[in-house]
Amino acid sequence: MNSITERNIKTAESDNWLHAAGRTLNSILLNGILILFSFTCIFPLIWLFYSSLKLKRDFNANVVGLPKSPTFFNFKRIMINPDYHIWSSMFNSARNTVLSVLLIIICGYIIGYILARIRFKGNLPIKLMFLLGLVIPTYSLMVPIYVLFSNLGISNKWYTLIIPYLAFGLPIAIFLVDGYIKGIPKELEEAAAIDGSSFSRTLFQIIMPIAKPILVTVGIIQTFTCWNEFVFALLLIKDQRIQTVPLAMTQFTGQFSSDYPKIMAALLITMSPVVIFYFVFSRNIIKGMVTGAVKG
Amino acid sequence: MRKLGIIAAVLMLTAGMVFAGGGGESASASSGGISVNGLAYTGDLEIMHFSTSEEAEGNGGSDGFRTVLARWDEEEGKINLVQTILANDEYKKQIAVLAAADDLPDVFLLQGMNTKAWAAQGLVLDMTKIIKNSPYYAQYDHPKFYPFESEGKTYGLPVLTGGTCCVVVYDSKLWKEAGFSAFPETWADVKKADRFFNDKGIDTISFGNSGKWQINSCFLSTIGNRFTGGDWTHSLIEKKGAAFTDKPFVDALKFTQQIFASGIFNPDFNAVNNEDAREYYIAGDSAAFIGGNWDVSYIQATLKESDPELYKTTKFAVLPQPEGATGDYKTHDIGLGYAVAINAKLADNPEKLAAAVSLAQEITGPDFASYVAENYALGGLTKVANIDLSKFDQSIQDFYNFSYVDNKACDIYDSYISSAVWDVLNTDLQTMINGDIDPKKVAENAQAAYIANY
Amino acid sequence: MLTAIKPRRRTIFLYLLIPTAVYIFVVFIPLLTACFYSFFEWKGGPNKTFIGFQNYAYLLKDKVFWESFYHNLYIVAACILGQVGIAFVFALMINSRSVGLKGVHRTFCFFPNTISAVSIGFIWTMIYDYRRGLINWFLELIGHPEMIKVWLNEPKVVMPLISIPLIWQYIGFYMVIIISAIASIDKEIFEVAELDGANAFQRAIHIVLPLIKNTLLVCVTLCIAGNMKVFDHIFVMTAGGPGNASNVMALYGYKVSFDQQNMGYGTAISLAIFILSMTVIGGSQGLVKRLTKEKETV
Repeated sequence: MNSITERNIKTAESDNWLHAAGRTLNSILLNGILILFSFTCIFPLIWLFYSSLKLKRDFNANVVGLPKSPTFFNFKRIMINPDYHIWSSMFNSARNTVLSVLLIIICGYIIGYILARIRFKGNLPIKLMFLLGLVIPTYSLMVPIYVLFSNLGISNKWYTLIIPYLAFGLPIAIFLVDGYIKGIPKELEEAAAIDGSSFSRTLFQIIMPIAKPILVTVGIIQTFTCWNEFVFALLLIKDQRIQTVPLAMTQFTGQFSSDYPKIMAALLITMSPVVIFYFVFSRNIIKGMVTGAVKG
Repeated sequence: MRKLGIIAAVLMLTAGMVFAGGGGESASASSGGISVNGLAYTGDLEIMHFSTSEEAEGNGGSDGFRTVLARWDEEEGKINLVQTILANDEYKKQIAVLAAADDLPDVFLLQGMNTKAWAAQGLVLDMTKIIKNSPYYAQYDHPKFYPFESEGKTYGLPVLTGGTCCVVVYDSKLWKEAGFSAFPETWADVKKADRFFNDKGIDTISFGNSGKWQINSCFLSTIGNRFTGGDWTHSLIEKKGAAFTDKPFVDALKFTQQIFASGIFNPDFNAVNNEDAREYYIAGDSAAFIGGNWDVSYIQATLKESDPELYKTTKFAVLPQPEGATGDYKTHDIGLGYAVAINAKLADNPEKLAAAVSLAQEITGPDFASYVAENYALGGLTKVANIDLSKFDQSIQDFYNFSYVDNKACDIYDSYISSAVWDVLNTDLQTMINGDIDPKKVAENAQAAYIANY
Repeated sequence: MLTAIKPRRRTIFLYLLIPTAVYIFVVFIPLLTACFYSFFEWKGGPNKTFIGFQNYAYLLKDKVFWESFYHNLYIVAACILGQVGIAFVFALMINSRSVGLKGVHRTFCFFPNTISAVSIGFIWTMIYDYRRGLINWFLELIGHPEMIKVWLNEPKVVMPLISIPLIWQYIGFYMVIIISAIASIDKEIFEVAELDGANAFQRAIHIVLPLIKNTLLVCVTLCIAGNMKVFDHIFVMTAGGPGNASNVMALYGYKVSFDQQNMGYGTAISLAIFILSMTVIGGSQGLVKRLTKEKETV
């Protein structure tokens, strides 16, 4: 089938200039759509940035326009206020995120692989159990989780948040890995088995490199989820010294006051570490997402 | 104000460390009122509240709360005060979880509408005797305890400042141009003025109800009172026969629906919140604004800096009287929405309880009251004699008189009953002022929720 | 399933043990507890009264809940088409030879996912704002001031309006997943299917679609699961309003649990969300399987 379609394309290409013009038009259209969409995706960041340089009045007068007299006043206010614990919360968030994401990737990969490939009695029940995790609204577990954690004395510790982040991150990771592994031809593992490779070796040294794209994908998705997570942070952390960034940021909104440019500055500060990380490493991340495929 | 906030913050941060070992020798510090009665308790005392440093920047009550709390912490050096400070939204969420998990902090802020339910479940300490024995008992403004009473017992010391929830803020200059020397006393006149302002291209009154509670707290509580009178409200609170479906209340709803359909408000009243709506007033896009004391202090602070002209011409009025309403005209709903309450479990630990009581009394006592009176011309639970208003500028004086002198107080609905009822009613009210549901139906739904939950 | 390797049972057990235990501990036990609570009248304090199935009986007649359920279905449908559908098309487009700046597109399109839902809601509220918002500003610009509306206060259009930000945010998410799935496909097969003419698109669907079927199924499942419990965006933009016109199940359950402090009924609602979500997911999987089977036989 391949060769036939290939030939079709080739003959079509050399057909005539009209077709070539069509191709150009088509490519302009494709590029245009994508550029437009990419722009809308990145515009909020630009807008957040220049709006945060405005003062409240300036912003309310014109939401879209550029600032008339840009100022870092909003950022200063946030950075110097010791009540926000901004630096220590950044550190806490970073630690939680890194540890949680690593655990999610490793555990998600192992379980996802086993569920995709190994036939055993518990396979379906375990899979269903993880599927359940996708459809539970977090708020419904707030009270039970609070009670559980405080009774066991594991709330309000530096490692507290990693536990729910891992648990709630697993289902997505498992399903992505499971779907991906099923798309990989089985011959590789069969060949490895014939060569006498142990299960663990196959798991980590043969299949893991192939699954790299999906693992990188899981990694970035979970990085932002963990970084932005709020409900558990509010629920389980009391001590300001171990609170995370989203929790620290709530201190900005008083009961009856809201200052949009200031909130935006706060949002930018919250986002900055992960966003910088994302843009700096985007090349590598994307490479990781698209290479590693089986050459067949 | 900002500086004060920061100083208070720094104080709080250092207090715990610096004074932890130092003992209470600083009794002579700025505060006259705090008695160093040698509390025997040493150890942690938890308090959870929502006076963030951000909040304290514009809100006199929060500033006073933080200041007095820091003083107390400083003076009671042997007690380690552990504070959990969350913004109000998060506070409400967290305190609900803690109540459900039966794990409330030692001292916390109790919302009026939770009093009955939480008292019935034994979560909060009965403070009736404590209040009677308080050194400040004689100075308390006793009606303020009403939202925190249940079956003859009192469960908290009302905290922060008592401000109006319903005030018309208007630009007297603009209204003069429209032909009114003061804000109209009838809605018919407001509608007349509306034509004038329409031609000018501005809204007559701005209001923001995207949060859904504003229409209840900042409008209906007062308008309802004009139709039903205060006895009806008390009868409803005390379950003595009044119902949401009673004709006067339904009339109040009907009126509310009509007035929001009349076009005198900004078209986006349901899509913006009060913070946006007051910006319309500040920017001169509306001739008046309806909101609460928190909006007023913000408007005053902003205008003073950015628009001294408008600051001078800004005046305050009660809501005009609806046609057919028979209640008092000069009324507005005002009160204290929160009280300092103590975890019932502290009853087993008299020393700790004494510490908690001392804390509760001080942050609601004369120290707090004089701080907010002197700095903001605001009042709290404890009465302050002879406030010298002359040092404040005209606007602050006007607002003080509006709030505490010239007008009569009525009840804020959602300081009572149960959030389950208000949540249902507020949701319906939002639809109702859009014109999409019949006021009768709204009353029926509210009544059903009332019967089911209260 | 693989038959060539049969690891020892103990190996599997050891690998599964710790993560599954953590999961059971954090998700499953609380879930069972919640299930238990749903049979109680529990008004937000320590006291609970057993009332059997009353909460569920009430739920069946609760108009607000079913209205919210309908809104969830609406969002799910919009998002399967909008999120997964557009993401699939975009993934193919980006893989096309005639498209440049591939890296930039992939980086940028995913970007909205890095922002918290609360911020996304905030940004879009600004876009829809009556006075200052982008849409009304644009309508004014092109000379159609009569079309200006208080967008989020229009019960008739509020559902599509709150779906748009959700779709917009997650296109990049599914695109990234689909791109990594496509990466596992043999490159030569894919190049054949490249977009370069009217029929190329169909070809792409016939060739690529079956190959990444598993991943797409995962995407659809994630999409349904995510949108059956969608919460934050709507909470920020409309809080379910005006009235209940954009209320969704999770938001309603949250309001009942915490704003109304009716935790017993609130947990009953969350269990209903849970059961309804599983039903919809199960139904969709069955449907997809049937559809793809038909396609394969045709």
